[in-house]
Amino acid sequence: MELADVSMRDAVGRLLCELGDELGDLVIVTADVGKATRAYLFGIKFPGRYFNVGISEQHLIDFAAGIAVAGGRPIAIAFAMFLMRAWEQIRNAVGRMNLNVKIIGTHAGFSDHADGSSHQSLEDIALMRTIPNMSVVVPSDVADIYRSLPIIVKDIKGPLYYRIGRDYSPRITNDYDYEFKLGKAYVLEDGYDVAIVSSGPILYEVLNAAKELRKLGVNAAIINLMSIKPIDEVTLEIYARKCGYVVTVEEHSIYGGLGSAVAEVLVTKYPVPMKLLGTSTYGRSAKNVRDLLNYYGLTAPAVAKSVIELLTMYRR
Amino acid sequence: MGSTLSCVEILTVLLTKYVKRSSNPLEKDWLILSKGHAAPALYALLALEGLIPYEELFKMQSIDSMLQGHPDTSIAGVDVSTGSLGQGLSIGVGIATWIKLRGGSGRVYIVMGDGEQDEGEVWEAITHAVVRKLSNLIVIVDDNGYQLDGRVCDIKPKYFMPFIWSTIGWAVILCNGHSVSSLISAIDRALVNEKPTVIFAKTVRGKGLKQIEGTDIQRVELWS
Repeated sequence: MELADVSMRDAVGRLLCELGDELGDLVIVTADVGKATRAYLFGIKFPGRYFNVGISEQHLIDFAAGIAVAGGRPIAIAFAMFLMRAWEQIRNAVGRMNLNVKIIGTHAGFSDHADGSSHQSLEDIALMRTIPNMSVVVPSDVADIYRSLPIIVKDIKGPLYYRIGRDYSPRITNDYDYEFKLGKAYVLEDGYDVAIVSSGPILYEVLNAAKELRKLGVNAAIINLMSIKPIDEVTLEIYARKCGYVVTVEEHSIYGGLGSAVAEVLVTKYPVPMKLLGTSTYGRSAKNVRDLLNYYGLTAPAVAKSVIELLTMYRR
Repeated sequence: MGSTLSCVEILTVLLTKYVKRSSNPLEKDWLILSKGHAAPALYALLALEGLIPYEELFKMQSIDSMLQGHPDTSIAGVDVSTGSLGQGLSIGVGIATWIKLRGGSGRVYIVMGDGEQDEGEVWEAITHAVVRKLSNLIVIVDDNGYQLDGRVCDIKPKYFMPFIWSTIGWAVILCNGHSVSSLISAIDRALVNEKPTVIFAKTVRGKGLKQIEGTDIQRVELWS
């Protein structure tokens, strides 16, 4: 596993090239964002198995569905935001026929900081999660991508949405030892006062928040929920029981995203006081991702403050 | 029902003379009923082929029937699930591309509606099919002159469609969609084309049922 200092999209581009050597039926399809998504790297190496359909996201998805229905192994890769205009194609072709199409949404969350609200996809997890047969995976960093993408492309059959960012890719999970399994959550740090559940690059803030909390005497368990669907009900229930408080943190809307997914599990398994941190409106342009995290109250200090608020609200 | 009756001859000619069945996805021919609301015509032909039980036709759309209101791959003989307009062609372009890439001999037949031409995805697909030089792709447009809300010429005229497909680079053939010999002659010509072919088959909505022929009536009680 080579973990060079690259961005998430660069890591995906390189990995797809490696997988192309191994898998003769692997086909990459993109919609005029080959360069931006790094899919073009695959195209240089395997021109016959690389299709750029032009600025046509609806066709992109159904074209990939056609390849899958005829026996190929397609990956449709484009900006997360604009894949969502093909939600109905994903639902009615890929989902309904349960096709082996992997959909990689890049530039998700705040990662496309400069382009602003038209490009910042903060609803994609919610939209993909509602589709029957569809799995949703959100890796946190390059290490998570190297853990998960080869297994997803080689061994997991059926529709799957894979959400990554653009350039902002802090190293988060390099020092943790776990293997990817669809439907499994990973406890990065054990704790007993509160469980903080998150995934994606924002997990960096969560781990730093945990350090600040520890100084205040709050011992937080940190759970990397890379696999949002299927979801690890067992781990979530164990930590709700153990900690009694759950906070979710996501670079996504709190309506229908990771936080909602966790709440849906806990409300039936073991309800505990929760706080859902994320967005509830559109994004905006900024010079960098950190400015956006700051603006939307999703930095480590803001997360730590929210955790304290939750704990004090119920511990009077 | 009118839309089902307008494409009976098209589907009959395709399924009884052209579409070759095989378990090999690269050697079989694919039939996609992109105008999925004409499912009853497809089901009747699948029953004739012996792929589904004849009695099932009378249970169509009931809770215990395998026959869904729109084609579904859970039904034997249905290659692609459809029902949402404008998607069948894109899926067909994907299948035809994969077959060509793998050196298969299979062809892809797609039956579309004329109203369906309104969908933006059709533009996305017809422009891409030409780039891929898909000689194994044949589209038949059931040109019955009606869409859900009324006559095509009143809702959104599409008389220019053959010119658009032609300008983009498709081979365009016009034929009578109720004449078996006209359809056969058109499809035979399409089979030898070196580029993707679209056949605009002029039809009459509700053909054969006098109460609704050439009207936009959706349903008729035959035994009332």
